[in-house]
Order: sequence, then C-alpha cells, then structure tokens
Amino acid sequence: MLTRRLFLSAALALGLSSAFAVMPARAQGEAEARDFIQTLASEALEAVVAPVPVPQKINHFRQLFIKGFDLPEVSRFVLGRYWRGSTPEQQQEFLSLFSEMTVLTWARRFMDYADQAGGTSIQVTNTTPDGEHGMLVETRVLRPGGQPPILATWRLRSTSGQWQVVDIVVEGVSMAITYRSEYSSVLRAQGGTMDGLLDVMRRRVAQMQAEYGL
Amino acid sequence: MLVSLSGRFAATLASVMLLAGCASVPPEDDPVARAAYEEANDPLEPLNRGIFTFNQGVDTMFIRPAAEAYRGLTPRFARDRVNDALDNLGAPLDAGNNLLQGDFRNAGVMVLRLLVNTTFGVFGIMDVATPMGLVAKKEDFGQTLAVWGIGEGPYLVLPLLGPSNPRDAVGFAVDSFLDPVDRIAVNNDAEGFTIARTGVRVIAAREEMLDVLDDIERTSLDYYSAIRSLYRQRRDAEIRNGAVPGPASSPGHFDWEQEMEQGADAADKAR
Repeated sequence: MLTRRLFLSAALALGLSSAFAVMPARAQGEAEARDFIQTLASEALEAVVAPVPVPQKINHFRQLFIKGFDLPEVSRFVLGRYWRGSTPEQQQEFLSLFSEMTVLTWARRFMDYADQAGGTSIQVTNTTPDGEHGMLVETRVLRPGGQPPILATWRLRSTSGQWQVVDIVVEGVSMAITYRSEYSSVLRAQGGTMDGLLDVMRRRVAQMQAEYGL
Repeated sequence: MLVSLSGRFAATLASVMLLAGCASVPPEDDPVARAAYEEANDPLEPLNRGIFTFNQGVDTMFIRPAAEAYRGLTPRFARDRVNDALDNLGAPLDAGNNLLQGDFRNAGVMVLRLLVNTTFGVFGIMDVATPMGLVAKKEDFGQTLAVWGIGEGPYLVLPLLGPSNPRDAVGFAVDSFLDPVDRIAVNNDAEGFTIARTGVRVIAAREEMLDVLDDIERTSLDYYSAIRSLYRQRRDAEIRNGAVPGPASSPGHFDWEQEMEQGADAADKAR
C-alpha cells in the first residue's frame, strides 16, 4: 500500500516536473522563432530599401538570406531522389546555383513589395511546434490600399540552437514543393541528367544577374 | 486577320491532338524517373502542354491586353467595387456549396452576406458584411466533391479554362449550370447578363493575377510545371481551408534516405 502510494506520487511528481520542464522550453522556442522571423523580415526589408545601388542591396540581401535559410537542406529536398545520384561536385554546383536563383527571386519580390507598400510590415500572428525540431511561424504581410494581407507561414528548423528557414508557404503554396515539382520536371526533360539541369540553371542565373547589372 | 488567326489556332490544336497521346511511362527499372512521373500526376502531359501553349496564345492576344487596359483605365477603388459585386453575385452558389458540404454555419453566413451586401451594400458593390464579422467562405462544387471524398484524378489543362482535373472540371460544369443568379437571369430572358458577368469575371480575375503570373513566369525554370504544382497546392489548401502541408512532406523533416530506398515515399502518396 505504502509502496504503491509512493510509486503513484513519484510518478505524478515526475510527470509534473517533466511537464514543467517542457513547457517553458517550448514557450522559449516559440518566442525565439517569432523574434527570428521578425528580425529576418525587417532586416531583409531594410536591405532592399536602403539608399544604395541595386547590386549593393542584393549583396546585403544575399548575406541575410544565406544565413537565414537552410539552403543545403532545401536543395536536398528539391532534388529528392536525384540528389543521391549526383556527384559531390554536381551537388555543390546545384547548391550554389539554386541559392543564387532563390536569392535573386526573393530579392525582387521584397523590392517590389517595399516599393508598392512604402512603409511595410510583416506581423507574426501565431507560432506552432512542427515536428521534433521545427516551428511554424504564421505571418500576415500587410498591403496598402485596403488589399487583404497575404498569409505567409515560415517553416523553421533548429539545428544546434540556431533557427533557419526551410520553407515559406504563401496562401497554402509551399515554395519547396513547387521547386521540387519544377526541378524534377526539368530533370526528366533533360533525360534525368544533372548536367542537363545545371546547364539550364546556369543560363537562367546569368540572365537574372544581367537584369540587375550584377 | 481574325480568320487567319483562328485558322492557325485550329491548325495548332489539330497538330497537338495528333501528336499527343500519353506521356511515355518510365520503365520499372528506373525507379527515380518512375517516382518523379507519379509525383507529377500528369499522364497526359504532352497534350496538356499543347493546350497550355494554346491558352497562353489566347491570353497574350486577347485576355491579357484586356486585363491591362482594365487596370490602366480604372482606379483601384473601382476595381474593388467590381470584385465586391462579383463576389456578391457568387454568394448564393457559395451558400449552396457550403450547405452541400454540411457547413451550415458558413452557408448561413453567405446568405446573411448576400442580404446585407445587396441592401446596405447597394447591390453588392460595397462589401459591408466583412467589417460586421461576416467573413466570406467561398466554396465551389469541385471542393464539395473533394469533401465528399472524390479524388482529384490526373492533372488536366482545359482549352481556355486552364489548369484543372476531372473532379474540378465536373465541379465547374455543375457550378456553371446551377448558378442561382445565372438561372434567374436565363429564366427572365436576360442571357446578356450572364455573358457580361462571365466576361467581367474573366478580365477582373486576370487583372488580379497580372503581377503574380509575371513573377512566376520570370523566375521559374519551367513555367508549365510551376503552374501545375501551384494549381494542385492551391486547390489542396482551399479544400483543407488553409492548412499548411504536414512536416512529413517538407524540408527539414523529410526523410529522403528512406525515400531513396522505397522509390515512391508514403509522404507523397498521402498528399
């Protein structure tokens, strides 16, 4: 009887203490993720509205983007089955071309948004844990002139205490899933060869860089 | 001029029909290509690409210029009023689809919106219901079919109508046929009204998409497959009413080691 009661209270105490231990950690994770997105978004907007020439804006934006996004992880997801079939050199080149394409794509989007909105604002509306090391940060991207805000959800992952973005889901459309579908389609059109894909990407990156005078 | 253009369209369509069959299915011994083929869900890809190109031609020549002229000639305020009026005309159909999905609350919201906006909103040109907390939940019959458990089927590009699938194509046909406002107009010999409504709807929708589609076309490696993925994800999100895709099919959680071993992974099948 005594042992049983002891056992119960011990179990209860253990359960409670672990619940207390988990709760603040989770709340802390959510606060960190929220701050991370707020900071990243405002720094990125500051970078593109800064009164400097466009190539300088993009360089600053690129630094923030490469630090804030886990691009190697996104690259592996985008190439999926093809990643493993590639040589380390091909993987490396894919990573650098893919990074440059996403940087230039999102730099343009941020610049257009900043131009259009004047003063801009991205509000964090909610955070929810996502898997073991992940966090979903929901944001509203406010727009001028009574247009409804855009709902963008940032999927974060924490590796060794550092948050990084692995996906942006805009109005239900995932950037990573779209790229994955598109790149596998290009790969199939190129007969499944990485060299074919890399060639298409090289040309596109050159074209995009030329647009910005980089 | 118009005759020679339509002749060229007819010739393009005919050659597309002749050339197209099904996409060649990758062989069993190439699991990587096979899995990519299945993930794309597009067995009619050659035909779909042909129709996509045809649609782009029609868009470039007619719809896009009309949408640009509409944007150039009207202030945003006026376009917002047009969109509100179109939404209001769609409210009865939205209410019906909410009802068919068993969503009585939102069916009621759509009916209240119709009443409030048609009266206080001056025939729907001002959406006064939303600030009152009556937020629209638009639903079409394709979504209703999805709620009833009917799968999307293979991706389809329809001539003039664009990205679709068998489920949404049936949904579109049913919505077009049963739209209460159009029914009333037709029964009162006002077909002109339904034609004008459709025309305004196409141009207003295209105007809203001008910047987004330009951005996607400029930044994608393959515009066709980007649109295919966007369409399927958008529909999926609308059916799930905005939920974000689960971690299993996202970077950061995605088990690509396992995927390699299994060929086609469970995450993609579940989507």
